[in-house]
Amino acid sequence: MTSRIDNKRCLKMYEQMLTIRRFEEKAIELFEHNLIRGNIHPCIGQEAVSVGACTPLRRDDFMVNTHRGHGNCIAKGADLKRMMAELFGKSTGYCKGKGGSMHIADFEGGNLGANGIVGGGLPIAAGAGVGIQNRGTDQVAVCFFGDGATNQGTFHESLNLAALWKLPVIFVCENNLYGLSTPVREAVSADHISDRAMAYGIPGMSIDGNDIIAVHTKMVEAVERARAGEGPTLLDCITYRFFGHFTGDPGKGITYRSKEEMGQWLERCPIKRFRERLIKEKRITEKMAKTMEANVTASIEEAVQFAKESPLPLPEEALQDLFH
Amino acid sequence: MATTVIMPKLGLTMKEGTIEKWLKQEGDRVEKGEPLVEIITEKLNFQYESPASGILRKILHHEGKVVPVTTPIAIIAEEGEALPEFEAIKSEVPIEAPMPAAAVRKEMKEHRERIFASPVARKIAQEKGIDLSLLKGSGPGGRIIQTDVISAVERVQTEGARPSVPAQKPADKLIPLKGIRKIIARRMTESFRDTPHFYLSVEVDMSAVQDLKERVKDEVEKRAKVRLTLTDILVKVVASALKEHPIINSRIEGDQIRLLEEINVGVAIALDDGLIVPVVHRADQKSLTEIASVIRNLTRRARRGKLTLEDVGGGTFTLSNMGMLGIDKINPIINPPECSILGVGRTVEKPVVQGGEIKIKPMAWFSLSSDHRIVDGAAAGLFLNHIHKIIENPDLLLV
Amino acid sequence: MPERMISCAVAICEALTEEMARDEAIFIIGEDLVAHGGIFGQFKGLPERFPGRVIDSPISESCIVGAGLGAALTGMRPLVDMHFADFVTCAMDEIVNQTAKIRYMFGGQVKVPLVIWAPDGAGLSAAAHHSQSLESWFIHAPGLKVVVPSEPADVKGLLKAAIRDDDPVIFFQHKKLFAREGPVPEGEHIVPLGKAAVKRPGGSVTILTYGSGFYMSMEAANELAGMGIEAEVIDLRTLKPLDFETIADSIKKTNRAVVVHEACLSGGFGAEVSARINSELFDYLDAPVLRVAAKDVPIPFSPRLENFVLPKVEDVIKAVRQVTYR
Repeated sequence: MTSRIDNKRCLKMYEQMLTIRRFEEKAIELFEHNLIRGNIHPCIGQEAVSVGACTPLRRDDFMVNTHRGHGNCIAKGADLKRMMAELFGKSTGYCKGKGGSMHIADFEGGNLGANGIVGGGLPIAAGAGVGIQNRGTDQVAVCFFGDGATNQGTFHESLNLAALWKLPVIFVCENNLYGLSTPVREAVSADHISDRAMAYGIPGMSIDGNDIIAVHTKMVEAVERARAGEGPTLLDCITYRFFGHFTGDPGKGITYRSKEEMGQWLERCPIKRFRERLIKEKRITEKMAKTMEANVTASIEEAVQFAKESPLPLPEEALQDLFH
Repeated sequence: MATTVIMPKLGLTMKEGTIEKWLKQEGDRVEKGEPLVEIITEKLNFQYESPASGILRKILHHEGKVVPVTTPIAIIAEEGEALPEFEAIKSEVPIEAPMPAAAVRKEMKEHRERIFASPVARKIAQEKGIDLSLLKGSGPGGRIIQTDVISAVERVQTEGARPSVPAQKPADKLIPLKGIRKIIARRMTESFRDTPHFYLSVEVDMSAVQDLKERVKDEVEKRAKVRLTLTDILVKVVASALKEHPIINSRIEGDQIRLLEEINVGVAIALDDGLIVPVVHRADQKSLTEIASVIRNLTRRARRGKLTLEDVGGGTFTLSNMGMLGIDKINPIINPPECSILGVGRTVEKPVVQGGEIKIKPMAWFSLSSDHRIVDGAAAGLFLNHIHKIIENPDLLLV
Repeated sequence: MPERMISCAVAICEALTEEMARDEAIFIIGEDLVAHGGIFGQFKGLPERFPGRVIDSPISESCIVGAGLGAALTGMRPLVDMHFADFVTCAMDEIVNQTAKIRYMFGGQVKVPLVIWAPDGAGLSAAAHHSQSLESWFIHAPGLKVVVPSEPADVKGLLKAAIRDDDPVIFFQHKKLFAREGPVPEGEHIVPLGKAAVKRPGGSVTILTYGSGFYMSMEAANELAGMGIEAEVIDLRTLKPLDFETIADSIKKTNRAVVVHEACLSGGFGAEVSARINSELFDYLDAPVLRVAAKDVPIPFSPRLENFVLPKVEDVIKAVRQVTYR
């Protein structure tokens, strides 16, 4: 299947996954050094979902994101410097320090912002779809959400509406099998989240979220369908987060997950898998990979430096941007 | 060398003056002799000239303030010169001398009077009978607050001042009591309150005076260049009568009566902003021509606001001729510290019985108000009678 | 009664343990209660002690409240954990249209012994969706009781009272206070709903406050004492029903009041109290009632911005000095 994707794209996707991984690791490190305040919700382990889902998108396509959204932001083409600055709460951040980690938006890049309310983004994505329909363009909207959100009323209302009106929305569930500490089997009544698509008469599938090619392939199909006016798709991407729910989660979320389970998923690390695959298919050499990794590390460092050197917002700026 | 400007004593009886308006501001240059400040005394508005040249460095008392004579009110000195020490102007919470919250009034956009006071301040004021309009508020914007009223209550208790309850009519038009009106208000109140007035009246036949006027008016006019009036004649008559009745030409001083040597008759003149009483000095020694001339001059200058202290000072008796206003009778209030005042009404043709016959005669009411501390009815009556006699037989003026 | 120093989290745990032991109808439903013992550890040990009575739910706030309501209407006494107060928005219909109104709408046929428990508050760089103080919304829904305690003793006492109350109670408690320790009496300790507490008597000014505002006010009061201003700090504890009598007694003595809360200014609880003082105690006021509150913006992430927006001790001092004209 890889052969259907050109080399350039493959390498780009690999580089992006790496970037996400390093970014998150750096963010955790900075948090531990008290340079980043609040909390981070790292998406380490879920990189393939972000990159696989965003790669088929155009810059003018829309994306709605969650509190665990750094990966999706990067995959949608965000500037690392401005992202890092936002985490530092600096005025050069995407949201001028007002949003922080959980609320990064980049409207110029089609990123309609990350929501702190579980399920809060689904109706917004449907709305983006309505806007697209009204304007008569062939844009699409991608909605990222977690497994926990599929039990929110908004999930059901949004899918119903999108199905009814054939909105150009792709619903991508980043199913990491846990809603904070609650396993998905104790929260979701269906065997598979994708089964819920049936209730709304839309195509739905559960896929290996750690196989970037699989994600990419299904996403391409879903995007084509949406652009052609055939309506929404539900993609249940099964993945796993290697860190805890957030930086306040003690012991990397081991209190509610088993070491065995973690071990199994670490084996299936999306980056590890793709790297192996690329090398096997001779699209990349070890040396190239290492160079890429070094470049990624350097760009993260650059972003951190930028953030550190950026000014803090003036206190009075807290009163700006409320109204137009 | 810095010059201290004081509230000048501008008249014998002047005890205090009101600073009406500073004609120069702090920092202005003044020349000696230049008008510096307008002062109101008991008698009139007066422009006080600067006693020195220099910069008006400090104004010690501001407009509206009443200060005793010889109190320093300003300092004139050159730039950089050391100034003498003066006690800082204290801001008091007066009750007898009201100091309205001027700052508050300036801010008010409405034209009606509004007192800013907190609810609890109002409540206490009402309970204790404190007039809020007399208080200066120490809260923001001049708001009268609880501590202001409590302090006022304590003051009332220690000073024993009479509390009063304000009657507020926000819908009425307000004219501030200031300047000449304020002075008249104060003096007439004092006079009415402190002087025990009694009133005698007599109706007088004016025909002889009218004949006299006809006979001499041309000559007077030729000499004095003014037309002879009844008032002129009345001044001469009154002066003549006063000579024969020195007890009327007097004033009370503490526990003694001073019989005054000079006979200076004041003539009440109505101006736009109030009553003024220029004085014909030594009226008994002046001819009719002279009296007419003096009175016309005084009147003209009064109307232009150009009277001097000399003009209004030293009066010993006042004449108030209300005839030209069409008033029959007036019981005037004594012009303190004089003993008496004569009010003359209009001359009206009336049927009177003379020698058993009814005749039509020009009659006028003459009313004398007198200070009962100085004179009794008899003395005042004799005086009034004398006037009556002269009016009905002006030839007596020659005697 | 002897006291010991314990944290709010421990106090909550104690209250729930005691109540759940006393009454079998009490159960708890919410997100991440079993594995974590609640995100602040406030339910620690309870799932083990009362198996089947501490229930983890999916992330479905409207259904959680709705389910709690349904159980309350049919003989149970549930406590529903909203996780963060910000998420009450996902259950507004269930709280405002259903829970608050059912007893009244149905002519008093039924009682609604539901407790909605919601950690709230800012100051942790948690940004706009995790930092709100929303108590004033619920004052405006007749039929709900609203409780916002500050100190561990009150948290314990009021939680027990709320659970025993046959009417719906929404219970806010500042996230920052979980770790905060305070003296809590041993043994049975219940604080009645609808009763404020004068926690610091004084004659110069009345400070009315609750939640995190209480600690700000106490700190301000200490500083003000150094200026010769003795503030009377009243911890309101219950916002609805409000103990206006205690407020009135104080203002009649001091003639001035400042309301302090972390919620933003416009339409905050300060506005309600201030209006009431104005209409019922007008003649006792020597100054207008002032409110110290957060600025009217969503809570920003960056610590410097958040700090600017939230009310501080110096704001309380400034307000007190204004109303005392000092």
